[in-house]
Amino acid sequence: MKISLDWLREYVAWEDTPAELAAKLTAAGLNVEGIEEYRQSFPGVVVARVVHREQHPNADRLSLCRVDDGSGAEVQVVCGAPNVREGLTVLFAQVGAVLPGNFKIKKSKIRGVESFGMICSASELELSAEGDGIMELATELPAGTSADEIYGFTDTVLDIEVTPNRPDWLSHVGVAREVAAIYGTKVSMPYKWNSQQSGENLGVKVQIEDYGDCRRFTAYGIQNAVRGPSPKWMQDRLRAIGSRPINNLVDITNYVMFELGQPMHAYDRAKLSGGVITIKRAEAGLTVQTLDDQERKLDEGTLLICDEAGPIGLAGVMGLANTEVGPETTEILLESGFFDPMLVRQASRGLGLLSEASYRFERGADWDMVETAALRALYLFQELAEARIVPDWADRGDPDYRPAPDIPLRVWQVSRLLGAEISTDQAAQYLQALGLKVQPMGNPGAVSANAVNMMVKVPSFRRDLHQEVDLIEEIVRSHGLDNLGGGDFRGGAGGVPADRDLQLRKARTWFAACGYHELVTSSFMGEKDHEHLGLPEEDIRRETISVINPHHGGDTRLRTVLLPSLLQVARRNVNAGAALPLRLFQINRTYLPAGEKRPDMKREDEALLPEEPLFLQFALIGSREVGMGGVPADLLEIKGTVEALATFLRVPLAVEPVGTERWLQDGAQWRIVADDQVVGTAGRVVADIAGNFEVEVPVAVAEINLDRLALRPLPLKYEGFARYPAIKRDLSLLVPGAVRYGTIRDKVQEVGGPLLRRVDLFDIYRGQGVPEGFGAYGIRLKFSSAKGSLKGKAVDKAIEGIIRGLKEGLGIEQRV
Amino acid sequence: MKETIDRLRSDGGERIAAADTPAGIEALRVALLGRKGEVTLLLRGLKDVPADERPAMGAALNRLKVELGELLDARQQELAGGASGEAVEMDLTLPGTPPCPVGTNHPLVSVLESICDIFYGMGFSRGEGPEVELDYYNFTALNFPDDHPARDIQDTFYINDKVCLRTQTSPVQVRYMERREPPLACVFPGRVYRNETADASHSAEFYQIEGLVVDTDISMADLKNTVDTFVRNFFGAAEPTRFRPHYFPFTEPSVEVDMQCVVCRGKGCGVCGQTGWLEIMGAGMVHPNVLKGAGYPEDKYTGFAFGMGIDRIAMLKYGIDDIRLLYENDLRFLNQFRGVL
Repeated sequence: MKISLDWLREYVAWEDTPAELAAKLTAAGLNVEGIEEYRQSFPGVVVARVVHREQHPNADRLSLCRVDDGSGAEVQVVCGAPNVREGLTVLFAQVGAVLPGNFKIKKSKIRGVESFGMICSASELELSAEGDGIMELATELPAGTSADEIYGFTDTVLDIEVTPNRPDWLSHVGVAREVAAIYGTKVSMPYKWNSQQSGENLGVKVQIEDYGDCRRFTAYGIQNAVRGPSPKWMQDRLRAIGSRPINNLVDITNYVMFELGQPMHAYDRAKLSGGVITIKRAEAGLTVQTLDDQERKLDEGTLLICDEAGPIGLAGVMGLANTEVGPETTEILLESGFFDPMLVRQASRGLGLLSEASYRFERGADWDMVETAALRALYLFQELAEARIVPDWADRGDPDYRPAPDIPLRVWQVSRLLGAEISTDQAAQYLQALGLKVQPMGNPGAVSANAVNMMVKVPSFRRDLHQEVDLIEEIVRSHGLDNLGGGDFRGGAGGVPADRDLQLRKARTWFAACGYHELVTSSFMGEKDHEHLGLPEEDIRRETISVINPHHGGDTRLRTVLLPSLLQVARRNVNAGAALPLRLFQINRTYLPAGEKRPDMKREDEALLPEEPLFLQFALIGSREVGMGGVPADLLEIKGTVEALATFLRVPLAVEPVGTERWLQDGAQWRIVADDQVVGTAGRVVADIAGNFEVEVPVAVAEINLDRLALRPLPLKYEGFARYPAIKRDLSLLVPGAVRYGTIRDKVQEVGGPLLRRVDLFDIYRGQGVPEGFGAYGIRLKFSSAKGSLKGKAVDKAIEGIIRGLKEGLGIEQRV
Repeated sequence: MKETIDRLRSDGGERIAAADTPAGIEALRVALLGRKGEVTLLLRGLKDVPADERPAMGAALNRLKVELGELLDARQQELAGGASGEAVEMDLTLPGTPPCPVGTNHPLVSVLESICDIFYGMGFSRGEGPEVELDYYNFTALNFPDDHPARDIQDTFYINDKVCLRTQTSPVQVRYMERREPPLACVFPGRVYRNETADASHSAEFYQIEGLVVDTDISMADLKNTVDTFVRNFFGAAEPTRFRPHYFPFTEPSVEVDMQCVVCRGKGCGVCGQTGWLEIMGAGMVHPNVLKGAGYPEDKYTGFAFGMGIDRIAMLKYGIDDIRLLYENDLRFLNQFRGVL
């Protein structure tokens, strides 16, 4: 809301500078977001007299004039206005002048004749929206006087953030009330027109079908209004707050709205059918034309103002074209009403039609202001448009309407909630300064949960005050938040991260220490992601949750898998020339439609909510190295990373052949298992699928569903360890191509006897010296005993058993 | 200056030769070449030398610096050589090899975690809730009137008429209260959504952290205290804060908290829109309707809640001028946060 300080001073006085005032308003909750020095000025525009006029030699519709602009010499200028004539006093823009819209006046040649400036119309100076021809001034000011002497205006305008609970601050008088409370002064309301009762009849009856929709509707008659520009003071103020003056009839209702906060609407009385105005809901299928000349299809139930022929206005939003006030209008019906905020809001949102009126009505009107504002407008119509006011008016209101009930206040609760001692007197003073009426109750010194110290009467402009705590907010606004201090809260009883949070933090920092970069990616998925991943129709992850009102051009569906987001980041960085291989990880959620009530739910409809499993995903991108046994090194690293992570987090993760993930290559993927449950997959992304996301380098990826994994670290208790030296022996085995290392390892462990501690593979060799179809596997065995130093003989015996076991069980020979 | 250089050349050599302990050499190195060393001061004084003499003087000074450095190294080796036997010859300027490349943690998550750490330190627990949320928890239970400007549909992504993407982390406080009796002190970080056009300061997805404290006599003074403690711990120095009355349906009284602009220190600049203040959070006393909705008896408890945008805090902390950088995951951005936990 823009507040003109020039305007504000009409209702309240203060002495601070604008910046000081702004700081005090901000501290009271009217957040001043900007202080603008408003200046309406016309550099280079001066009063001038038309000394001579003749027909332009080359153009019928142009005049060639000489004007006296006070510069001493007469200036030649071409003018296109029909009303230009000798002897006129005009506003003349000299060469070098800058008109509104940054229009620079230069010396020019018009149809072959030189012109040194421009004689201005009101619209060129943005002094009026209407009117043809140049301005005809009735001033005695000498030629050469700056136009600023007549039309200049300077003001300071505050831009105030008004929260939705305070519609009363959407007006100058509303803000004046706060200023008065801050400075301990009073608001003087603008002059109000008082009707004189006479016999004349307005001839309009109002019917309200449901008082729930419209609590009050008043209508007033205005006759013989003379249409013309509004007075300068009104135009200046409207312009200063960013509202464009149109003519007096339109400006008056706007001015009163910005002054008092009550939107009103003027109908052309002659265009109304019949004498009955009805406020009712729209039937289905209605189309109307609003004042902005738009055809609009109305929702059923939209609240309408109707005459006997049909709709003439969308209640609280905008009038209709069929009853618009125009140049031919002689009699006006002025409406001032109180409409249901929710209905106004629904209509305004439904039609995408936000107006100054709907903005105020959807926040709530002020019952008393319905009439006060109308009377103020009538006064201005009379004063500024020479109108005659029909002394009788129509006023229909809900007979059951009651002002808001009085609110009991306990100073006990005030002090308790604020953590500051506030006395009964102090509280009462703060509230009274804001225009609330206070009725003392009981013993003013009583402070307890049961002691009501006062009853507070809420004025009609404070619809936001319902209960005690609302009054406490008013008290602290006045008391000043800066004056609160201390507080004895010394912290909660928690302070220890939960296991899960600690484990996730460990994982994050571990990955970063291992060279991985952490990603934060969008919850939305691309339109083609599922297709690009090759997810079959029956895959449960094809079922998605969509937003019904996506942002224009934005994605609509929440992701069910993380991989596309990771590949997107990979592509971006590979294209940007990042060094390969690239290591990326993310801990993010996916969203899978649910549909059953889970035990931790409090409400039935929570079953509507999806599952949001948290995934850890990490990937190695762009590695082409080959590892042991010809297996790509990135796959071995991914596997090893899962295993190392499991060790670091102390969780029982195992990586086993084989996985069945759709986007991973068959034969190059594992499943990740914890306590016999599959919790994830790891392996090589199918090259074509990576290619669908424009990633043309190898991608090895693992992902773990953290919700399926008990993240609590395995319990730890120290055990004794073998202090006697261990014995290590290396074996070279001739392994047939079809035998997997895992089988060998398991066999060795099976037959290795109680002294065998570890089996490690350290080399695979194929080639010269090794028969075709075999591999030479180097494994290292470690033996130890808790009982004493090992004897070579005992180890030899164990080795013999292993060699025999491998030969008999798997047909593997020792290579000599 | 020329004389000083000559004097330092001869006299410096003598002083180095005279040093007879490794510590003595180190002290000399600081005295000659350290940040406030004699040579360094001379180099700094170069700007006052007449322009035509400057190049020659600069070259001489640099020569002196190298010579003295070599003399120091040689003398140091002499002194050490005696103790540890034979010296070896190798190129010690070859690049080092790290055990693995250095990765990064995302600044958003890092800031989120470090905010949590401060609240852990104040005895808060940490909780979370769903991102796809019932309209009930996101609005109704938080005392948003039905169809009120405060719950503007333009800003909310809806899944259907009962389910939306949460627009704030505040619904988690309701879920938390429903399951627990006070005293409560907990923070709830997480991702939230607004149906907004993305630009340098807006993102449709971003992060918030909500805080909630409920007990028998929690006051607004406690809220101020807690917020001030947080700001002091997070931003380091005692940045002044300012509390402005504001409106949120689920708190009453409600406030917005501003911190003095970290860029201009309150003088007014582009970052703070010339106001000298930066808005960092919304807060207030938990509305009685919200406490009632959680099932607590009337008047028994009071509490405060606060919520802040983690993106904004991260941007303030690191001077990031475009929120979209946080979601692009460009390594040229992320790599700058190496070592940030």
